[in-house]
Amino acid sequence: MKESDVIVLQEPKLSLSDQFYLPQVLIGLGTTMKHMFNVVARDKHLVVSYPEERREDKPVEEGGMFQQTYRGVHRLNKDEDGRVKCVACFMCSTACPARCIHIEADESPWADREKYPAKFDIDELRCIYCGMCEEACPVDAIELTSLYDIVGLTRQEMIFDKAKLLRVYDETVKAEPM
Amino acid sequence: MPKITVDGTTIDAKPGVMILQACNDAGVEIPQYCYHPGLSIVASCRICLVEVEGIPKLVPACQTPVRDGMVVFAKSSKSIANQKQVMEYLLINHPLDCPVCDQAGECLLQDYSYEYGRSQSRFEEDKQKNPKKDVGDNIFLYADRCIMCTRCVRFTREVSGTSELFVEGRGHKEEIAIFPGKPVNNKLSGNVVDLCPVGALLDKDFLFKQRVWLLKETPSISPVDAGGENIFLHHNEGVVYRIKPRYNAEVNTWWISDDTRYSYKVLADAKRLKAARKLEYGTPAEIGYGKAIEEAAEGLKSVVSADGEGSLYALLSPMMACEEAYLLGKYIRSIDPQAVLVLGPVPTAASDDVFKHYNTGKETFRIKAEKVPNANGIRRVIDLLGGPKASFDELGNYGHLRGGWIVGGYLSNWLPGDLPSVLNGGFRVIQDILPNAITDRADVVLPSAGWAEKAGCWENYAGKIQAFAAAVQPPEGARREGDVYFKLLGRSGFYDADAVRAEMGGAFADVKLPTEKEEVPAFEFAEL
Repeated sequence: MKESDVIVLQEPKLSLSDQFYLPQVLIGLGTTMKHMFNVVARDKHLVVSYPEERREDKPVEEGGMFQQTYRGVHRLNKDEDGRVKCVACFMCSTACPARCIHIEADESPWADREKYPAKFDIDELRCIYCGMCEEACPVDAIELTSLYDIVGLTRQEMIFDKAKLLRVYDETVKAEPM
Repeated sequence: MPKITVDGTTIDAKPGVMILQACNDAGVEIPQYCYHPGLSIVASCRICLVEVEGIPKLVPACQTPVRDGMVVFAKSSKSIANQKQVMEYLLINHPLDCPVCDQAGECLLQDYSYEYGRSQSRFEEDKQKNPKKDVGDNIFLYADRCIMCTRCVRFTREVSGTSELFVEGRGHKEEIAIFPGKPVNNKLSGNVVDLCPVGALLDKDFLFKQRVWLLKETPSISPVDAGGENIFLHHNEGVVYRIKPRYNAEVNTWWISDDTRYSYKVLADAKRLKAARKLEYGTPAEIGYGKAIEEAAEGLKSVVSADGEGSLYALLSPMMACEEAYLLGKYIRSIDPQAVLVLGPVPTAASDDVFKHYNTGKETFRIKAEKVPNANGIRRVIDLLGGPKASFDELGNYGHLRGGWIVGGYLSNWLPGDLPSVLNGGFRVIQDILPNAITDRADVVLPSAGWAEKAGCWENYAGKIQAFAAAVQPPEGARREGDVYFKLLGRSGFYDADAVRAEMGGAFADVKLPTEKEEVPAFEFAEL
């Protein structure tokens, strides 16, 4: 790198009103008041009344969801015989920056395949929904769906096992084919 | 010393070696499959063909001896064209099942395909599928992945001398096979898996357990016999998954025995001691580890105050590291300067297992009959500490001993059926990894760490002292012996094997741990 490529950033200097602090607090309050006025007098809400209103129902320009690229909860895809597509290669768990995928491989019960995941757990609370697992998968077995309303009452409930991930596939495959 | 030039780099070669060997020694890369420094040369894979000035045809680098002033081109257009063609030929029938194959991540075919091969296959026909074979108690042969380098066949002839594997068929029908009813079950069989440059020979024990790129490796020493075979422990998230040989020309060359290879299983034994206990009204009760150490110390001191000096003993196990034995000896002698130091039982098989070349009869490998790794080292430590000492067999003569510290740590039950009376009574503190006849009756039980869980050094039968590193943590509830002795001796900080070795001096002072390979971060390999 040349020295001419280096950009030296200076911290902006505090203005007089910044230095006195209080004027900036009042300006901040002004922003809050502006939003309050918009809601009360002009009926311009900035909120969505979830779950009555959902993000996928709104246009993208108004803060709605673009379903094709949204990264929600994972699913494990099935092959044409209804078996889990995953070959337990550990590529997704290797690529996962949050280390939330735990796989236990075993010899597959099917003659045409050597290996399959005996266990496949994703800790959805640890997951950062980056989609790296999807990118890494050599057989397109793991995918992120556009489902975002997942809830659980315990931490354990939020660890999705193989059966649950396959169930997500059954629920979403019509709306979002492979 | 002959000098040769490889792609413009001049390297010094040892006289009489082949071009490939000289390049490998100098760190110049030439692709190779069938060549292995520990086996005879067959030049069958043809990927190492190089151009040599003055020779019109390409020559196999593995089979062409160096000559002073030789000029070799391993990256000339002719050599590269050959490498590409060999790769294409090898990949014609090789299934590209890298996501499933256990060898993925350490497969030469995968690496070379990336570096020397084509990006796409021109093969349009169906791949030929060869069968999967069960060739031994520990080994599978996935014949469709085999590239017929015959390293495994040569190993069973030239190293184990047992000749179980052979090549059956000719041309495209060639396959590695065993004779009916004669599986590869010799005591070195696991080495054929390490030898295989592709994923054709697989270890049943490791099959599908872990992906190799997740494993970290730690240098260690074999715990199963006095040979002191150099090994790598491959582990991930605190679990040891497999053991691989570590090259040491003086000790084990490239090979290890199967006993060594599968010795890690004791670490995950369900029976392992995991809670400190003391005897309360005749029954063992669990107590905190710190409390148990205090109980042990107080008990030993009260024995000395009641029966006087010379009433204590320390049974130093030949499974202990020399540093640990030294610290325990020091501690016992600090309470009782006349304490007797005893070397624990040394289980021994009838004779060494000797492997010979099938043809020349030359000895290729020896598995020692002495089935513990450090009897010599413990003897050396006992001599270093001076004072009264005894052998395990002599313990019967020492009727005046009233209490002591017993260390086990053996990989299986180690106590003889009829215990010497000294061990049968008195105040007994036992430190072990597995339960035995004494653990239920001892006054204090301290669960300790297996060899892979601690650092130290061992002396093999030939007097070579070798250090090993800790790969994983001991299970919860167990502590490393060194840490326990540090606490008992009132030393601050944690047990550091290097520092203790320096303190011991003598032959131990210069023992160094081999430098560990740096851990590869998970993302490094994705840099394509």
